[in-house]
Amino acid sequence: MSDAVDELDSPSSALTRGDLLKRGTAAAFAVGMFGGLAEKSFGFAGPLQFAKKQLAGELRIMQWAHFVPAYDQWLDNVYVKRWGEANDVEVKIDHINNALLYSTGAAQVAAQSGHDLFWFISPPSTFQKQVIPLNDIVQEVTKKLGPMAKVARKSTYNPRTKQFYGFPDDYAPDPVQYRRSFLQEVGGSLRTWDDLRRAAPKLKAIGHPVGLGMSNEIDSNMLLTSLLYCYGGFIQNEENRIVIGQGSNRRGAIEALQVMRDIYRNGMSDEVFAWTAASNNQAFLAGRLSVALNAISIARSAEDSGNTALSDDTWLASIPRGPVMRMGNEHVMGVFVIWKFAKNKEAAKKYLVDQMLNYREHFVRSKYYNFPGWTGAIKGGFPAIRKLSAQDPHKPRGKYTVLTTIAEKYTTNPGFPGNTTPVIDEIFNTYLIPQMFAEVAQGKATPAEAVSGFARKANALYRKWRNQGLV
Amino acid sequence: MPFAIFLAFPFYFALVTMFKTNLDLANVEHSPYLYNDLEGGFHWDFWNYATTEHVRFLFEDTNYPRWLLNTLLVGAAVVAITLLLAMPAGYALARLAGGWGQSAGVAIFLVYLIPPTLLFLPLSRLITQLDLKDSLWALILIYPSFTIPFATWLLMGFFKTIPQELEDAALIDGASRLKAFGLIILPISLPGILTVVIFAFSLCVNEFIYAFTFISSSEQRTVSAGIPNDLIRGDVFFWQSLMAATLIPAIPLALLYNAFLDRFIKGFTGGAFR
Amino acid sequence: MEAQAARASAGSGRWRHALESRRVLAPLLIAPAVVFIGLVVGVPFGWAIYLSFTDAIGGSLSGNWVGFDNFTNAWQDENFRRALRNTLIFTLASQAIVLVGAAVLSNFLVRDFRGKWIVRFLVVLPWAAPVVLSTITWLWLLDSLYSVANWTLAQLHLDNGLVWLLGAVNLEEDAQVPLQWLGRPNLALLAITLVHAWRILPFAVVIFIAGRASIPNEVEDASRIDGATGVKKLWYVDLPLQLPIALVAVLFGIVFTAVDFAVVYILTRGGPFNSTQVLPTWAYFIGIDGGSLGEGAAISLFLFPLLVFVTVAMLFFARRAQVS
Repeated sequence: MSDAVDELDSPSSALTRGDLLKRGTAAAFAVGMFGGLAEKSFGFAGPLQFAKKQLAGELRIMQWAHFVPAYDQWLDNVYVKRWGEANDVEVKIDHINNALLYSTGAAQVAAQSGHDLFWFISPPSTFQKQVIPLNDIVQEVTKKLGPMAKVARKSTYNPRTKQFYGFPDDYAPDPVQYRRSFLQEVGGSLRTWDDLRRAAPKLKAIGHPVGLGMSNEIDSNMLLTSLLYCYGGFIQNEENRIVIGQGSNRRGAIEALQVMRDIYRNGMSDEVFAWTAASNNQAFLAGRLSVALNAISIARSAEDSGNTALSDDTWLASIPRGPVMRMGNEHVMGVFVIWKFAKNKEAAKKYLVDQMLNYREHFVRSKYYNFPGWTGAIKGGFPAIRKLSAQDPHKPRGKYTVLTTIAEKYTTNPGFPGNTTPVIDEIFNTYLIPQMFAEVAQGKATPAEAVSGFARKANALYRKWRNQGLV
Repeated sequence: MPFAIFLAFPFYFALVTMFKTNLDLANVEHSPYLYNDLEGGFHWDFWNYATTEHVRFLFEDTNYPRWLLNTLLVGAAVVAITLLLAMPAGYALARLAGGWGQSAGVAIFLVYLIPPTLLFLPLSRLITQLDLKDSLWALILIYPSFTIPFATWLLMGFFKTIPQELEDAALIDGASRLKAFGLIILPISLPGILTVVIFAFSLCVNEFIYAFTFISSSEQRTVSAGIPNDLIRGDVFFWQSLMAATLIPAIPLALLYNAFLDRFIKGFTGGAFR
Repeated sequence: MEAQAARASAGSGRWRHALESRRVLAPLLIAPAVVFIGLVVGVPFGWAIYLSFTDAIGGSLSGNWVGFDNFTNAWQDENFRRALRNTLIFTLASQAIVLVGAAVLSNFLVRDFRGKWIVRFLVVLPWAAPVVLSTITWLWLLDSLYSVANWTLAQLHLDNGLVWLLGAVNLEEDAQVPLQWLGRPNLALLAITLVHAWRILPFAVVIFIAGRASIPNEVEDASRIDGATGVKKLWYVDLPLQLPIALVAVLFGIVFTAVDFAVVYILTRGGPFNSTQVLPTWAYFIGIDGGSLGEGAAISLFLFPLLVFVTVAMLFFARRAQVS
C-alpha cells in the first residue's frame, strides 16, 4: 500500500521555499489559472465543415467542456471528423459548462427533442426513465474487451430494473496533489488521515494550509464522501438501503466528522467554505495550499504555466488511509445516455462502441484525465496504462503512475458499496454532505446531531425514489 | 454620495482589471486598484504594465462580437413586438375599459411573480414543437412575455394622463380613433414610449435562463448565456476577459439610459398611477 | 357639434361605427397582448402548477398525482424552511437599504451641480450591466483569496477591527482574517443582501427622482408660504406625496429580489452548508439537478400566493395614497 511519497525516492531537488515563493509561483498560478495563452482558440462548438461530400446521417453529441482544452480541440477537429467520414455520418458536437448539463438535459427531456448522445459528469440516474437501455452494446464491448471497471458498473447499472441506463465512457481518479517541499519541511506524511490531521497545523503554521473544501461544489462532494468511506461511514449498503444512521456506519461517520473538524480548526482557514470548483485550483497554483484533493487538472495547470518550480514540486498520491479502508470516489464519471427521443440511435450506439474500442488515444490526449470505462480498452490493461503514464515527461518522472494504482484499487463510485442511485444523485446535487461537514466544522451542530439529521433527509429521499420504482 | 461610490466601484474595478496582466492579477499582495510591476511597485506610466491581451482574446478568440450582435438583435425585435402589442392594450385599458382596467393592470403585474427557473421546462417543449430550437427566434418569441405586462401597465398609466379632451376634439373633427391615436396621442407619449423601450431592452439583456436553455450552439447565444459558458471552463475563470465582457455592454447602455433619463422621468411621472 | 360628428361618422358605414364602439374596440385591442401572454406564460404556468401536484422526475412533463404531498414534504425539510426564511430576509433587508439609499440619492440628484451627469451615469451603471456578468464581478470582489474588499480593509487596517466588531455584536464569532464573505453564514447573508441592494438601487433612484419631479410647483410654493420647511416639510408634504412612488419602487424591488436566482447561485450556490439558499435556487437544485421535478415546482410556487397578496396590497395603497 505504498504511495507516491515512498515509491519515488528521487533526489531531493535543491528547491528552497524561497525559490518557490518567488514570482515564479505567481506565474504558475497566473498562466495556469487564467488559461494559458497558448491554449487560446476554442473550437469547441459548432458543426464541422465537410468539404468533400455530403454525409448521409447526422449525429448530435452534447458533452462537457473538458478541463483539458486540448482534448476538446482534438476531439472536435480530428476524432469526430474521422469517425464521421468513416461512417458516413455528419457529427455535430456541442460543449457546455459541466454545471449546466443537468438543466440542459432536463430541458431536452421536457422538449422531447435534442441531442442524440448526452454526456453527464456523474451517473444520471434521475434520467433513467427517459433513456433507452444499453445492455446490448455493453455486452458487445464486454465480449471484446473483457469486463468493465467496477466503478463503471456500479455507476450505470440498476439492479432493480436490470438495465444499463448509461454507457460508462470514462472516469477520472481523484488523487491527492501536494507540495512535497512543504511536507518535507514539517516532516509530515499523507499516508493516513491521522498523519494528515497531525501535519495540518504544522502546515498552517508555515503559511501553507491544507485545502479540503466544504463548500457547495463538486470537489467538496467527492472528497468528503471519500473521507466517509475511509472511516467506514457508508451512506448505503450493497442493497442501496440507507444505513448511515445506524451502527458502525454511524460511528464511522461521526469519527470522520470529528477528523474533518480537527483538520479545519487547526490546519485550514475559513476559505474552504466559500469555494467554487475552481477555488482549490486557484489557491494551490498561487502557492498557498500545501495539499488538495482534486483531479489532475491542478497538476496539469501547473505544468502548463511553465513554472517548473511549482509543478516539479507538485506530487501525486493516493488518498490517505482511514481506519477502515483506503478508498476514494472518482472525480468524474462520464456516462453517455441515448435519449428515447434520439433521432439516430444506430449511429449513436456505433459511436460509443467505436470510441471505447479505440480509447488509447483518448486517454493520452486528455493527458491521462480520462480513464476508459473498460480497462481492457487499452491493450494490456492496467499494467499497460501504468507504462503509458510513466512516459509523461514532467518532473518528477513517473508521478502519474500512481494514478493507475488509484484507479485500480482505490477508486469507487458514489454510493459505495451500493450503486449510484437517484437518491445518491439528489444528495450530491443538494450538497447535503458538505452541509453536514461544514455545520460540524463551524460548530453549528455536534457530529451526532449532524449525522442524525443527514440520515433523516437521506431516508426521506430514499422513500421518494423507491416510490418511483428506481431503487 | 457614498452610495454613488458603492454603486460605481465594481465598475471602476472591472475597468482596471480587464487590462491587468496575469502576473499582476495573481499576486495576492498587489493592489487591485492599480497596475503593478512584478515587485508590486506602482508606476505613473502604468500603461506599460497593463495589457490588452485579454480584451483581444475576448474579441478574437471567442464569439463575443457575435453575442453582442445577437443580444442587440433580440432586444430590438422584442422591443418592437412589445410596443406593437402593448400600445393598443395600454390604450384600451386606459381609455376604453373603464373600471376593470385598474384590476387588469394589477393582474398584468402578477405575471412577473412566476419564476423562469420553473417555466423553462414547459417552454422548451413549446419551442421544440415550433421548431425554433437553437434559433434567436425562440427568444424573440418568449421574451415579450415578460416585457409586455410591464409595458402595458406603464403605457396604460401614461395614456391616462393625456387629457381626454385632446382626443375628443379630434374625434369631433371627424377623425377615426386610429387617426386620433396616431396623430395626437403618439407624439405626446414619446417619453412614455422611450421608457418602455429602455425597460424592455434592459429586461432582455438581463435574461439568461431561457437564453441558455433554448440555444445550444455557441454562435447563436446572447451575451448573458455565452459568457458564463465560454469564459468559465470548469476550473478556470478567465477573469480579465470576464471583466471586459461585463463592462463593454454596460457602458454604452448606461450612456443611453442616462441620455434618456430626463425623458424617462417624464414618462414615469406621467404614467404609473394617475 | 356632437350631432354633426355622429352624422359624419354614421355616414361612413356601419362597420366603422361598430368598431368605434367601446365594447368592441377595447377587447379587440387588448386581445393580442392577452392571447400572447396567455399562451406563452399562462399555459406553461398552468403546467407548472400541475407538475407541483405530481411526482414528475427527470425532465418529464408528466407524473402521478400526489396531491399536496410535495408541499408538505417540502415544509418538513429544514433546508426548505431556511430557504424560505432567507428569501424573506434578503428581500426585506435589501429593499430597506434601497429605500434609504434611493431617498438620499434622489434628494441629491434633483439639485443641479457640476458633474451631475457623471454621477448619474455612475448610478445607472449597475442597472445597465447584465445581472449575470455583474454578479460574476462581485464573485471576484468577494473571492476567498483575492477579495478586493478584504485587500482594501487590510490596507486601511480595518480588517481586524471588523472581526472584533462582528464578534462583539454576536454576528460572527471566531471569524478570521481574511474575512470569508461567502464562507461564513452571516457574512454571506450580508454580502448577498448588499449585492441585491446594489442591483436595485439605480432603478429605485430613478423612480424616486421621478417622484420628486412630480411634486407640482404650487405645492412647493404653498408650503414655503405656509412656512413649512425642513423636517416639517419633509414629513407633511414631501413624504405623503412621494408615497405612491416609493411604494411602486419598493414593490418592483421586492418582486425582482424575491424571484431572483442568479445572485445566490453564482455567489454561493446556496452555501455555506446550504445556509444561503433561497426558494428559487433550492427549487432548482432539487427539481433540476436532483431530478425531483414535481417537488421543485412546488417549492418554486410556494411564494407565489404571498407575492400576489403583497403586490395587490401595495398597488391598492399606492392608488389610494395618490388620489389625495
